[in-house]
Amino acid sequence: MSTQTFRRIVRRETHSPRTVAMIIAAGVLIAALTYIGTGIVLYMLAQPDLLLGLPSAVAWIIGLPTVQPEWLAAISGVVLGLLGLVFLFLALTPGRLPKHQMKCGERAIVVDNGVIASSIAKYVSDETGIPLNDITVGVSHRAADITLRPRIGARLNEAPIRDLVAAEIDSYRLTPSVKTRVRIIRPYESDLDG
Amino acid sequence: MNSTNRVLNRIILFVVGIVLLALGAAVVTIIIWPAAAKYWTGAATAIKSWTEAAIADTTVEATTINGFAMAILLLIIILLILVILVLTHVGGGRSRTVLHASGQQNPLGHVTVQESFVSDALKHSLNNREEVLFSSVSAKNIRKQPVLHLSVTPRQNTSPRDLVEDLNTLVTNLATLTGENVPTYISLHSGLRAKLARNQRRLA
Repeated sequence: MSTQTFRRIVRRETHSPRTVAMIIAAGVLIAALTYIGTGIVLYMLAQPDLLLGLPSAVAWIIGLPTVQPEWLAAISGVVLGLLGLVFLFLALTPGRLPKHQMKCGERAIVVDNGVIASSIAKYVSDETGIPLNDITVGVSHRAADITLRPRIGARLNEAPIRDLVAAEIDSYRLTPSVKTRVRIIRPYESDLDG
Repeated sequence: MNSTNRVLNRIILFVVGIVLLALGAAVVTIIIWPAAAKYWTGAATAIKSWTEAAIADTTVEATTINGFAMAILLLIIILLILVILVLTHVGGGRSRTVLHASGQQNPLGHVTVQESFVSDALKHSLNNREEVLFSSVSAKNIRKQPVLHLSVTPRQNTSPRDLVEDLNTLVTNLATLTGENVPTYISLHSGLRAKLARNQRRLA
């Protein structure tokens, strides 16, 4: 089995295809082209145009700097530009999906970050005895954030928990690798009162 | 996983984005900046008179039909066809046949394993597992090579490492059974289905 094919699969699965955005862009393109095309045909047949006849459209484009109201034209320009920026952004950014590659044997494996996060939460809960509800885990592209809210009286140190979690994450053999950050939050004020 | 051409997607997005950005920027510039407005009027008028000359030169006698407009129309139609062609090629790449065990000398001929057989075999094994909420198996052609895709949604708090090791064994066993090691791609998913289900395994 060629690793090249697997690399291709993993890459495609961890990055957005941008198909939805492409279909919207293509729709805009088709609408614009169809409108112009219809305009040209109607002009050649000397028929009345759909909205704006070709000659008056040309006159409008030439007179664009003096179009009234000015603010409306300016806002339209800004909206068009922003839409263009959004499309450009989608075209040029990598579009990473919240997933990681896992290594196990010779197979291509892709895991949602959510699966990793909930598994780590369970692991920390089992190892420390803190209830699952008091553990929040977020896994991003490069980091895993573990937030613990121990009950009153429980004393926790960050370092051993960090080592524990780091060892667990290492055993998943994720690509790209994930750094561990542990945060311990004081109990709620309301808990102290009660 | 499908065979959508992603580079093409990006190219279309890029082109449409650049055009829209340029149009927007032009409109804003000519409204805000008088010098640009002056240039715009001059350039637009020049283009208009050039176009009018081109239309006059190519007009067929006694009609309003002219070659210049026809050329532009043709260009528009070609562009439209290209865009529609791209849209119709989105997706695809699914394959029904997973493997041909043709190397074996078999008096009955070639052995072909259909996707449904592999799918049933794997799903049957996975349904017995408490931590697997949902699984689906499909076959795809990737670079003309059949690849098995095993998609699994485990319960929350399931260790992906243990699950993947088991899935790996399962696929290896299947390979032993059918006599051919089909390239397999495994994906583990979280999602609404996992969030709504019970966290823990139910005790029987």
